[in-house]
This record gives sequence, C-alpha cells and structure tokens, in this order.
Amino acid sequence: MNVSSVPPNSAGRPSGEPASGRDVDPAHLVELMTLCSRGHEEAFAELYDRTSQRVYGVILRVLRSPDHAAEVMQEVYVEVWRQSARYSREKGSVVAWMTTMAHRRAVDRVRSVSSEVARDERYAFHGADREIDQVWDGVAQRLDVERVRKGMASLTPIQREALTLAYFGGYTQSQVAQLLKLPLGTVKTRIRDGLIGLRDALGVEA
Amino acid sequence: MSEIHSAVGSYVVNALDPDELAEFEAHLAVCQTCTREVEEFRETAAQLSLLPGAATPPPALRGSILAAISEVRPLPPDASAKLARTDPSAPATIAASVAERPIDELALRRQQRRTRILSVLVAAVVAAALALGGVVYGLVQSRQAQVAQQAAETELLTAPDVRTYSATMKDGGEVSFVVSKSLNRAMFVGKDLPAVGSDRTYQLWTLEGKQAIPDNLVAGGGDRKEFFRETLSDVTALAVSIEDEGGAQQPNPATIQVVTDLSS
Repeated sequence: MNVSSVPPNSAGRPSGEPASGRDVDPAHLVELMTLCSRGHEEAFAELYDRTSQRVYGVILRVLRSPDHAAEVMQEVYVEVWRQSARYSREKGSVVAWMTTMAHRRAVDRVRSVSSEVARDERYAFHGADREIDQVWDGVAQRLDVERVRKGMASLTPIQREALTLAYFGGYTQSQVAQLLKLPLGTVKTRIRDGLIGLRDALGVEA
Repeated sequence: MSEIHSAVGSYVVNALDPDELAEFEAHLAVCQTCTREVEEFRETAAQLSLLPGAATPPPALRGSILAAISEVRPLPPDASAKLARTDPSAPATIAASVAERPIDELALRRQQRRTRILSVLVAAVVAAALALGGVVYGLVQSRQAQVAQQAAETELLTAPDVRTYSATMKDGGEVSFVVSKSLNRAMFVGKDLPAVGSDRTYQLWTLEGKQAIPDNLVAGGGDRKEFFRETLSDVTALAVSIEDEGGAQQPNPATIQVVTDLSS
C-alpha cells in the first residue's frame, strides 16, 4: 500500500472507528445512499460507520443529554434509510443532507424538551459564554477542523456568537437576540453574514 | 436587501420562529437566489459539524439502529423529483427504473426472516432451463392485470438479458421463472397449476447460498404469475413450495416442489 497516496485520516484507521472530515469521499457516500435505497443493509452499516461521529457530534452538542442524543440518532438514521431513495445529488452532499436532518431533529427535540423543563430558563442568562467555550474546547487539532476553526475565527465576534448560539445552542433567532441583547434584525443578518463568511473561508461549493 | 432574504441564514440553522418559517418557506419556493444560498449554507453548516470534535456514539446504538432499519422499508423515490433528475452518478436507466418501483427496494425484514435451509435441499436442485419465452409471453398477455403490474411485466419480458427457467414441480405443475439480472427482478409463472385446496398455498422462496428467504404466496389452480418480492442481488436460486394458508417462515424439504439454480 502506498501510504503517501492515502489521506492521513484514513490510513491505519482501526475498523469500526468512524471516519469524519474530508476523508469521507462524497461520491462514495452517494453510492452507499443508492444501495440503501435498494435495501442493502450492509451499505447502510458502512454509511453509519462513515458518518455517525459527525452526526452524533452535532446532535449531542445541541442536546447535551446522551439519552436524548441516542434517541434522536436512531430517529435520524432510520429516516436516512427510509428516505434514501429521495436523496439525490441536486440536494447537496450526503453529509450536508444528513447533518441538516440531524440538526433539525435535534433542535426540534430541544424545543419540545425545553417547553417541558424550561431549558431556556436554565441557559438563557448563563448559557451564552458556556455554549461558545464548549464548542471551542472540543476542537481537535485536525486539518479539516482547523480549516473550520480558522473560518470561524475570521468572522466578527458577533457573527460567530450568533451563529454558534443558533447552530450549536439550538436557539431561535429571537432567543439569540435576547441572549446577545441585540435587535432581531441585527441577529438575523449576523447569522447570514456569518454563514457567508464561513462559506467563503472554506470555499464551499453547493 | 429585503427583510425576507436576510432570513436565509437563520433558516438553514433552524433558528426561525414558526411564523417566520412559514413565511420564508413560501418565499423560498419562488426565489432562486435564496434557494442557491440555502444549498451553499447547508454545505457550510455541514462543515460546522466537525467542530464539536470526536464524539463517538455509544457502541450499542449501532446495533440498535441496524436492527431498527431491518424492519423499515425504504420509501420509493419521489416521482416528481425523478423527472428533473440528471444525476450523472446514476448508472444509466437500469438503476433508476429499478429504484422507481417500490417493490424493488426491499429486503424487508430480511434478517428476521432469513432462515437456514438444509444443504440436502440445495443438493437436490433441479435446474431445468428451457426457453419457453413465447409461451410465457402469451400467458402474460392473456391475463388481465393492473397497469403498473403490466408495465413491470413488459419491462421484465423485454429486458435485454431476460432468461426463462422452466421446470416441473413434484405435483406436476409446469412453472417458469422469468429472470433479469440487470433489472434485479424475477417473476414466477405457473401454467395450469394444480389446485392445492383452499387452506393451502404455493409459496415462493429466494435462496442465498444455504439461506432461504420466504417470498410471495401464489394461489393454486389455473394460470398464475407473481413477481418475487425479493430483489436478486445475492440470490442464487429460486424455489416453490406448498404450505399451509398464510405461508411458512422456514423451508421444509418435504414441502418444496422445485428449486431452480440461477447460476446454470
């Protein structure tokens, strides 16, 4: 095996350890989705192994609770399987399709749970700094992560905070506005500007 | 920029409040600029998913999810989206047409139903592959069927690699299996099948090596045709048995009427 031709993250990865980042070949994930749509459970298992760390990372980050996160993971992956024939390349990358679904469901769960246990009260006034710190603490020194981290660092503090609270905190834009003590319109444009800045920094293509 | 455009970022990170969500989605349906931006932002937000760092899901979750999906049938493709589909990765029309038919996608509850078959049964394979395409075709034409069924049959019978395997069952019934590897489908055709009584039924099976997977049921008496529910990917042989009403989950050598090896 010519090790130099292998992306650093895939070389020597123990079997069963999920992959993440750019070493997940987008075209291969599309193939796996196609096989899933025809009922190939082995392809689904591979898809899970290649994506579960990233998907779980988002869900757990938003939900905090491993119990809730496990439930949402199960919902998301069963839905991925069920919807596999509805995925097509025009809908974007497989990872984006899955993380979009995962994020939406995690946020839905946060909001339904928060109405029960008043999560907002616990986090709304003390949570903002912690949200942001926890995201940054967990960052591993890996190339892909480093790119995203640099992209985030290139944003203005308000863009970064607004985006972080919305994406990882699972807050609505009105809640973000309350947390940051800014007008709603400002928060809205900061979230969008933050995504534009990150998109440009990462050279993301849809 | 209008107010509504600026909501695109909040939309992608699921931060819109319910009333504004409805408003923005209505706008999105008619705004190409926002549609493109949503696509780009979704890819961007997917990169954000790297930031929480390594978060390994509980190992038990994997087994639980794999068990769960084996009981769930993938939805058929979205018919409206299909027309616009220009996916270069789709391996030509075969994959598309296979995926379009709901019945094709499944390996429903395969794991649960998968059962072992005695190797002696496989050893007793009768592989009779007589080409009776004309008879089969006439039979198909003579039967009234649903439009969709008819279209599927026509597609199968006109597939470039269609093969017909014919055999005589233990009870004397003449049967054929019409098989297309490219379509991944097989159909059972029985001509003048013996009656088996109202409390019994023919049952189709697919065999993957030594494993037999129960498939659709076929009533006895007269001309019958029935698609196999299972796709052919890993199927090595097809079989027919006579079972009690409702069918069996386990194959029984005593009830097997015919086994046809597809590799011959």
